Amino acid sequence: MVSYQNPVSHQLIDGGMLLKEWQTDFATTGRLLVSFRKWYYNAAGFNKIGLMRDDTIHEDSDVKEALRRLPEKVYNDRMFRLKRALDLSMKQAVLPKEQRTQYEEDVHYLEPYLKEVIRERKEVEEWSKK
Amino acid sequence: MKGIRGISKLSTRLYAAQVARKLDVSVEHVKFQPQEVQVTKLPSGLMIASLDNYSPGSRIGVFVKAGCRYESPENQGVTHLLRLAANLTTKGASAFRICRGVEAVGGSLGVTSSRENMIYSVDCLRDHIDTVMEYLINVTTAPEFRPWEVSDLTPRVKMDKALAAQTPQMGVIEGLHGAAYKNALSNSLYCPDYMVSQVDSDHMHNFIQNNFTSARMALVGLGVEHNVLKQVGEQFLNIRSGMGTAGTKAQYRGGEVRVQNGSSLVHSVVVSEGAAVGTDEAMAFSVLQHVLGAGPHIKRGSNPTSKLFQGVAKATADPFDASAFNSNYSDSGLFGVYTISQSAAAGDVIKAAISQVKAVTGGVSEADLTRAKTQLKAEYLMSLESSEGLLDAMGSQALSGGVYHSPEAIAQKIDSVSATDVANAANKFVSGKKSMASSGNLIKTPFVDEI
Repeated sequence: MVSYQNPVSHQLIDGGMLLKEWQTDFATTGRLLVSFRKWYYNAAGFNKIGLMRDDTIHEDSDVKEALRRLPEKVYNDRMFRLKRALDLSMKQAVLPKEQRTQYEEDVHYLEPYLKEVIRERKEVEEWSKK
Repeated sequence: MKGIRGISKLSTRLYAAQVARKLDVSVEHVKFQPQEVQVTKLPSGLMIASLDNYSPGSRIGVFVKAGCRYESPENQGVTHLLRLAANLTTKGASAFRICRGVEAVGGSLGVTSSRENMIYSVDCLRDHIDTVMEYLINVTTAPEFRPWEVSDLTPRVKMDKALAAQTPQMGVIEGLHGAAYKNALSNSLYCPDYMVSQVDSDHMHNFIQNNFTSARMALVGLGVEHNVLKQVGEQFLNIRSGMGTAGTKAQYRGGEVRVQNGSSLVHSVVVSEGAAVGTDEAMAFSVLQHVLGAGPHIKRGSNPTSKLFQGVAKATADPFDASAFNSNYSDSGLFGVYTISQSAAAGDVIKAAISQVKAVTGGVSEADLTRAKTQLKAEYLMSLESSEGLLDAMGSQALSGGVYHSPEAIAQKIDSVSATDVANAANKFVSGKKSMASSGNLIKTPFVDEI
C-alpha cells in the first residue's frame, strides 16, 4: 500500500510546555557551549523583565497564526508576562534576581506551533507551483 | 477543381471509419461476467462488501454504527461536528493535502450521517482508487481534531443549522423524534444550540474511541475487487477492536411538540411506534405506506392512487399534501401520516388523514394491495440504480444484518405480505400511543389527545 507522509508531530497534550529538546539537537553539548549559551541568555537581558525567548519573537503573519493556535493557558501566561514587562519598562525597573527567568526555566512554547504553521505554508506554496 | 482536390485528402481523414475497421480486426472480446455482491466478515468483526460492476468509476464507503443515537448526554452534537470534520488534518495528511489530493484525481470525499450510521464515502476513477483510499482510511482511523481546526468549525455548524431551519420538514421531523423517544433516537441530527461552540476536540476523540470500532464498521466498495478491500480492511481498519460502548435501547414514550410561528402552512406529523428494520412487520408497514400514499408519482397530478390524498381532498378545498410517514431503525420505528395544510383547515386535514388509516384496518382490496406492492418494489429497485443508492443499500444491510439480500429476494419478501399483515399494521398505528409534532400557525391544529 502507499506510505503516509509524516508531518512534524507537535506535542499539544500537556498544555504546550516542552522539555528542552533543543538542547539535545546539537551534537556538541559540551560544558563550554552550554556556559556560553547561558552567558549570552543573561546578556540579552529580556529575562530581567521576566520574559521568555518566545515572548520576544517578532510578530509576522506566521507567528500571529501560531499564537492563535496556542492553548488558552499558555496564551494567558504569555499575556501576563508581556503586561508585567511593559509595566517594568514604564517604571524603568527590573525584577529582583530571584524572580528573573532562568536559562533552565525558559520554555520554547511557541516553537512547535510555529514550525507547523511554516510547514503548512510551505506545503501550500509547493502545491501552487504545480 | 476544389472538389476533386479534396478527394485525395479523404484517405487521411475518415478517422471514425478507420478506428471502426481496427476494432473489427481485434481477435478476442473480453467477456465480462456479471458479478454478485460478495460479503465477508473479517476476524476483527469488520464487514467487507463489494460488487465489481465493471464501471469506470469506483465508489468506496466506510459505514460505521455511530449515528446520533449513540451520543451521550454530555456530548450532544458531536456527530454533527464529526460530519463537518471529515476534511480536517489527519496523522497522514494535512487538511489542505486531503482537499487538493482528492481534487487532483478528480474524486470526491463526503460524509453522510443518519440516526444509526455514519457513512464516509469517496468516489473516483477506477485507476486512482489507491490514492483516495489512503485519504479515506486516514480520515476514518487517524483524525487529529486539532483544537483550532475544531473551533473553526463553529461558523459551519451555525450555517448548517440555519439551512436546516429553512425547511419546516426538518424542524418537524427532528421535533417528532425528540418528542417520541426518551433517549437514543431522540437525539437530533444537528448540534443543539447550547452545544454549538462547546463540542471540542476531546469529545470528538472520545466518541471515535468508543464508537468507531472494527466490529461496528463495514468497508463497502462498488467497482473494486473484493480482495483489494479485504487487504485494506485487514491492514488498516483493525485499529480499535471490540464493540465499543453499547448503544441504549430506544424507549418510545409518545409525546407532542408544537412550534407556533407565523407560517400560514401547518406542517404536522402524527405517528405511533412502528417496526424495526428487517422484520416482517417492517415490510408490512412499508406496503401500508404505499397503500396510503407515499408521495405523488406524477408531478402536479391529482394523486389518484393515494388513499390519503383522496380522503383529505373531501375534507378541504384548499391546497394540501398528505403522505404516509415510515421510518425504521435497528430496534424501533415510527409510522404515521405527515400533512401540510392551510392553518384554518389543519384540524380537518389531520382528522381526515387519520380516518383513512382507520379505514384500512377494515381490510384493503386486492387491487390496492398489488398496486402498493408494485410501487414499493419499483421504489426500491430504482433506488439501487444510482451508485450512491446501491452503496447505501449494500452498506446498511452489511452493517445491520451481515448479509446482502439481492433485489429478487427483497421483491419476494414484498410479495409475501398479505392483506391481513397490512390491516394489522394499520391497527397497530390506530391503537398505539401517538406522538405528534406540528409547526406553523397552530390555532386550529388539534392536540394529540384530541385526534
